[in-house]
Amino acid sequence: MFGYVRPYKPELLVREYSQYKAVYCQLCKILGREYGIFSRFALSYDCAFYALLALCAPGGQVEECRGRCVCNPLKACTYLSSPGEEYKKAAALCVLLTYHKLRDNLQDEGFLKSLGSRLLVPLASGQAKRAAKRYPFLAETVEAAMEGQRQAEKNLEGVDACAEPTARLLEAVFGELAKENERQKPVWARFGYFLGRWVYLMDAAEDLGEDLQSGAFNPFVRKLGLEEKKELSGEERAWAEEECNAVLNATAAQVVLALNLMELERFGPIIRNVGEKGLPQVQREILFLHVKEKSRRELKRL
Amino acid sequence: MTDPYKVLGVSRSATDEEVKDAYRALAKKYHPDQYSDSPLKDLADEKMKEINEAYDAITAQRRGGGYSYGGAQNPVHSSGSSGFSDVRSFIMSGRIADAEQILNGVPAGSRNAEWYFLKGSVLYRRGWLEEAKDHFSRACQMDPGNGEYSAALNQAMNQRGGMYGGYNPNRNMSGGECNTCDMCSGLLMADCCCECMGGDLIPCC
Repeated sequence: MFGYVRPYKPELLVREYSQYKAVYCQLCKILGREYGIFSRFALSYDCAFYALLALCAPGGQVEECRGRCVCNPLKACTYLSSPGEEYKKAAALCVLLTYHKLRDNLQDEGFLKSLGSRLLVPLASGQAKRAAKRYPFLAETVEAAMEGQRQAEKNLEGVDACAEPTARLLEAVFGELAKENERQKPVWARFGYFLGRWVYLMDAAEDLGEDLQSGAFNPFVRKLGLEEKKELSGEERAWAEEECNAVLNATAAQVVLALNLMELERFGPIIRNVGEKGLPQVQREILFLHVKEKSRRELKRL
Repeated sequence: MTDPYKVLGVSRSATDEEVKDAYRALAKKYHPDQYSDSPLKDLADEKMKEINEAYDAITAQRRGGGYSYGGAQNPVHSSGSSGFSDVRSFIMSGRIADAEQILNGVPAGSRNAEWYFLKGSVLYRRGWLEEAKDHFSRACQMDPGNGEYSAALNQAMNQRGGMYGGYNPNRNMSGGECNTCDMCSGLLMADCCCECMGGDLIPCC
């Protein structure tokens, strides 16, 4: 995943923001403890969101503790720990997704550009095996999604078919979080389906310009009839981005519909903020403000 | 029955106006029209029923009488003149795979507007929103006067416009302000709705 699923901070209460941060920090701590310090670099907003959602599920428990930041001992930090498996599952997911992402980079990029990935893959592969052994369900689901993705891109499928594997991945993973609650399960699964679809489409929309230049596969190329183009003029780009935005809006609307029906034990306002305000904000930043082109660092800061 | 005040999320001391506002906000959130093509429809209907009952109970307690919200409207319904009544009943009962199988068996030459509409409905329920939209617009092209098809297309287009989620560059994120653009587009939409039903709001378009 790609770090697109995050709250829109200005609309969070201070209390909610510190809760979110405490979940993020706890995940970072667990990630380091379970999979080694280097795996902390794999931490993403997406996996923090998964942990947050897991804690909202029936039976989740949290306890606030104070400590020091694992990376910076001078900084005090609040952690929201849980006696359950939630963080461990989120950490496993994080490791698995990062491993597959690195492997993907190996296949897609040239020798020099993929040098970094080449060095990291052996390290990640060991940790991914460990994660897979602990949570075979997660590993199989991720594996199936990656395979589906390769197939879809090989067959040059349309937008919907290409988004399907990622959508199915989150559908399965979120559905599983609802546990035995048969009434809520379809809602959580549907929320996952469209969130996954949104994440895939957002990533594709962001990479459109780059993929046109390099000739890499991108489902929006055929949808928008850009097969002949290498470079987009300013006007063409604005048009293409508006089109991508419309596709994302349709998906975000379905995310909100599922979200309305979800019963959340805690963090409800944060989860709703992500779906209702966070996703639009990411669309705005990437497709209209082009934040990433201006400064990568600004966005990475929490 | 659960406490009706709790269902609407208002305190017992809330004024009638506050109760009404809370009810309206919830009714908008769970309104069945939004879920008409979604597998989550049953749950939304249930929620809607719950808040309707809660609102009715409160108004009955306070002064008797009340006001109930319009029922569900499912764009796919059985129609007498349909050439695909079996597909329609499969879709209505949620058997999407069966519906799709029959539709895919129809040879390309005899696919009419209704076929495209129903195929679009199947795709929409599966979450394939883009292809669904393309099928709806094909259905509308082939049979421009059909209200059922244009309603489905309108819904898809409104969702793409960012009215129900996602980002609309013409709208201010922070507030629910109404600008001149919103007013014009609102009027145009009202006009479209009127025309669907045979009336007309803005005679020149």
